[in-house]
Amino acid sequence: MTSDPADPSEPTSPEGQALQPRRFMHLRWDLDKTYLRTEFDTVKDLIKTFRQKAEDKVAVAGASALLRALLDPRERSHRRVTFISGSPRQMRKVLTAKLALDGVEPDMFILKPNLENLLRGRFRAIRGQVGYKLKALLLSHMAAEHVDEYLFGDDAEQDAFIYSVYADILAGRVDAVALAAILSTCKVYRGDVDEIMAYHRQLFGSGEVVRRIFIHLERRSPLDRFAAYGARVVAIYNYFQGAAVLFEAGALEPRGLLAVTEAMESDGYTPERLANSLQDLMRRGVLHFATIERMSRELAAAESTMGRPVPRFLHAFEDAIGSLENLQRPGPRWESEINYLGIYHEARFRRQQHRFLGIRLLD
Amino acid sequence: MAHIVLDSCAGRDGGREALEAAAIASLQLDHQITVVGDESDITAALQKIAHDAERLRVAHARDRCEPDMDAAEVLRQAPRNSVVVGLEIAARDPSAVFVSAGAPGLVVAGAQQILGRIPGVPNAALAAVYPTLRPHGPVSDLFALLLDVGATVECSGDDLVTFAAMGAAYAGKISRIDRPRVALLCNGHGISNAPARAREAHRRLLAAKPAFEYVGCIRADSVTSGDADVIVTDGFSGDVLLRTLEGVAATGESLLRRAAEKFQWRVGVQMLSDGISAIREFTDWENYGGAPLLGFDRAVMVTQADSGRRAFLNAIRLGAKIDRLQVIAGISAGVAEFHGLGAPPASPPDPEAP
Repeated sequence: MTSDPADPSEPTSPEGQALQPRRFMHLRWDLDKTYLRTEFDTVKDLIKTFRQKAEDKVAVAGASALLRALLDPRERSHRRVTFISGSPRQMRKVLTAKLALDGVEPDMFILKPNLENLLRGRFRAIRGQVGYKLKALLLSHMAAEHVDEYLFGDDAEQDAFIYSVYADILAGRVDAVALAAILSTCKVYRGDVDEIMAYHRQLFGSGEVVRRIFIHLERRSPLDRFAAYGARVVAIYNYFQGAAVLFEAGALEPRGLLAVTEAMESDGYTPERLANSLQDLMRRGVLHFATIERMSRELAAAESTMGRPVPRFLHAFEDAIGSLENLQRPGPRWESEINYLGIYHEARFRRQQHRFLGIRLLD
Repeated sequence: MAHIVLDSCAGRDGGREALEAAAIASLQLDHQITVVGDESDITAALQKIAHDAERLRVAHARDRCEPDMDAAEVLRQAPRNSVVVGLEIAARDPSAVFVSAGAPGLVVAGAQQILGRIPGVPNAALAAVYPTLRPHGPVSDLFALLLDVGATVECSGDDLVTFAAMGAAYAGKISRIDRPRVALLCNGHGISNAPARAREAHRRLLAAKPAFEYVGCIRADSVTSGDADVIVTDGFSGDVLLRTLEGVAATGESLLRRAAEKFQWRVGVQMLSDGISAIREFTDWENYGGAPLLGFDRAVMVTQADSGRRAFLNAIRLGAKIDRLQVIAGISAGVAEFHGLGAPPASPPDPEAP
């Protein structure tokens, strides 16, 4: 962990003239299946993951490039990254080493006290994520006036649910009664409930700080599973899609977008796969045609430095959106009221169908 | 990596199962998949289905073809239908395989307008596989090839010999048969009573020294024996024969269902259920993956109008295999050799290739 960020409210130019307050950006990342390609579906996978060395761990294509681009040294003083992972604390050394190998230096790295949970007989807390992650998010909330938070999770756990509850606590949409009902339904331990409720009292209604929640579709879950969360949650198949959305939001510079594109291509992504990914965002109304045109221009301008991949990508891209040029798809709505209990029970029912009736989770 | 172009406007459930097959293929196979149809309908349906958007693209087809329209009418009144749009995409990409459950007449007419013809092929042939009693080739393929089954109803002798060359080249690639046995479908009285086109084809095939083995005429009651790897006929007779085989299989199914009327019969059927399931699996057309339309410079797969998810998936797999084994180039070479046209021109290099 590092110290709290500097006060961002009054930045000044070298000449001492007052500047417009720059917005702080706080990036919150999950680790397994979001940043790292991790398998933990079986005990064997778990043991393998636990024994892996830092150099054997592999990041999801484009994840480290995106994170490095967002943490550009020129912007670093106004950007902060927190990792909140369900991995045990005993893995801190190897995970920190892996992030260092990728050139990522987190400001805060929160890991789960699994051994403590085990020794105290808190078995539900070993598998459960709601109490742990919600508490960690609230604990590491950066109390800056002008802050934008971008959260990154995956579809293997309950990240969309937890992140949205967190965002709505800050936005003042999940009050104490609603939060208590959610925590009770999720069977969060009493001690964790008390702590979360204490944070809720401090932070409730802090502001609309969570701009986007990116859910990496590691399991390729159907998109409509995230529709109830509204436009704030963006399900992404890869980090090129995440970079495109951040580019549209003005949170990522063109050079960052380029770096992610390059990283994806060196990871084996063909121009067709990248073009398909953009077409998907456009059809879902997440990305607008004007943004895509701007992206194409920026990428074309970089042609001379990139060599062949960019023109190939642009060619594939023209092919992908050519027939959809006049498409004016309204984007997903921003939900002002999310039925968290309904979402929770629906997900639970789906898991039970899978467990007892053998109905595939992806159907 | 093949580029599968799938028409999602036809098939079971109004094409919904075609879309589901595309979604499954995007998750299971490493191919580029383009789904053609109404973009907004497809996007809305895809929200509910697990798929991999990295491998799946949507191409919008503005017009929808009505099932009761004939091919010429569709091409006139709905020019931007999914078959035309899909074939146009396929025409631009040498690795494309077009898969459709649309009316075979429309697919053939569209392909004739949009795709290039293999040199030496005057008319296209729709090839269907059917199960036989004897295995074929080194991989013991239990299926033989029958062509044409409906693409060219009025055939000449020249068409039939070209079909023989195409069918042999296809079987050589797909079933890995060095010298496929090719037969002409005839009636019960031998070649002397066959129509003029069949007599001409018979004469030319006997006189030629082809890369395949011409085994002469075969009667309809022997097609399932497995004596020939490829059976050649005109589109009309081929369609009749194929439908008859399917009808016999369907009759067998309904007879089995009637066995439920009596308790003893039901017990008997139950005791044979494993064997019956195996036969059902063997004769189920959805397992065959559709019929390749041969004669064009792109792979085209035509599946039955009521194709479900499994049929489309198998058609996609077969289409990808056709691309991987370069079957179209093999057919082109086979036809050129048979007609003495010399080596077919090599396909132009991809200008975008690194």
